[in-house]
Amino acid sequence: MNLDWNVVWNNRDALLQGVALTIGLTVATMALAVPGGILLALMRLSSNRFISNASLYFVEFFRNLPLILVIYWAFYVLPIATDIQFSAFTTALVALVLNVSSYNAETFRAGINSIRKGQMEAALAMGMSRRQAMFKVVIPQAARRILPVVASTWISLFKDTSLVSVIAVGELAYTAMQIRAQSFRVLEMLTAMAVLYWLMGYPQAKLVDWIHKKYGVKE
Amino acid sequence: MDVDLSPLTDNWRFLASGFGVTIALSVISAVTSIFAGLVIALLRMYGPRWLGVALTFYVDTMRSIPVLVVLVWIYFAFPIIAGVTFPPFWAALVGLTLHIAPYASEIVRAGIESIRPGQTRAGLAIGMSRAQILRKILLPQAIIRMLPAFGSVLTMAIKDTAIATVIAVPELMHRAETVAGQSYRPVEVFTFVMVLYFLLLFPVTRVVDRLYQRLAHLGRS
Repeated sequence: MNLDWNVVWNNRDALLQGVALTIGLTVATMALAVPGGILLALMRLSSNRFISNASLYFVEFFRNLPLILVIYWAFYVLPIATDIQFSAFTTALVALVLNVSSYNAETFRAGINSIRKGQMEAALAMGMSRRQAMFKVVIPQAARRILPVVASTWISLFKDTSLVSVIAVGELAYTAMQIRAQSFRVLEMLTAMAVLYWLMGYPQAKLVDWIHKKYGVKE
Repeated sequence: MDVDLSPLTDNWRFLASGFGVTIALSVISAVTSIFAGLVIALLRMYGPRWLGVALTFYVDTMRSIPVLVVLVWIYFAFPIIAGVTFPPFWAALVGLTLHIAPYASEIVRAGIESIRPGQTRAGLAIGMSRAQILRKILLPQAIIRMLPAFGSVLTMAIKDTAIATVIAVPELMHRAETVAGQSYRPVEVFTFVMVLYFLLLFPVTRVVDRLYQRLAHLGRS
């Protein structure tokens, strides 16, 4: 077995671009999925049955599907259903946002529901509107409980971005596997890919543990 | 847009056997992960210190590396070091277990730690050994509390088996890709498979939710 680790260093520019795209995709997805999750959670808590059920079905549907299937589905069905050609990156973003928004919606709903009803009633009794009570009393308290869960979702999302390599989005996994195919340096490139993910993911996992310790609800 | 369902009716046996592989792989890897998780958690809590440090490192590593990377590495890179090749199914089973076992171990650890320390002290006070306390007092209570979370491990395993398509395990996702590619009917095939996965996963998550509600109060001390 002769190994040639130079292949990793020689392809550093491509790999770093892959890293940048992985990070970019994670940040962009979360930036869209937090408002998406808030919207879905508020819809779910709405008193209008139709709106509430629409949110429920949407969330349950996407929470009960493998993400890789949603990515394939978005890749093949979106262009036909909408008659617009999306780039692979946009397709990946749509699939990831659909998935993560659903998880976030459940997180936010559980967070809001965990604030005792008395808080809302007290705010209403003081003459606040429902909207004021929600945004000034309930949500600020719920946010503290939600933060650790969103941090865990963040890690999952960071790892799940590797799945969009199946539709040829040039993030880290795709880039590394392309170089592997061109150079036939299988062990070197796949190990380098794992190490690069580890270097990024390990500190994040530790940070999430710290957030859980600091903000986690203890009963 | 015209819909043509003939690729599905023509290939239903092919897809059904893929569905079988998905169920077999997910159930087996969930079971192996739960057992491995139990061992990891007990060694971390009661084993020698150096082993605990090593296992913590392993658990955190698996939390930071995508399952796709683990599967691809086991299937393509590991044989180069070891000199043996696995069939895809076994590579997927090993990869999925390596990846899911740490999650199961965290569930086990949380379950055991949720039993109040007073029970351990009481056991020690009446002269039981640590092993007896674990077997007769802690685990019977903790396992009931862990049951719903083990259900979540199963849903996780079902979703992760779809990723095993990248190493050509002949499960549902891979079969769907094959049929879609041959028939040029990706919309019908992927939509159908989407419904299938939903019908498989939704009852499991419903049962898990029910278990959480039914069992949450049991084993409370």
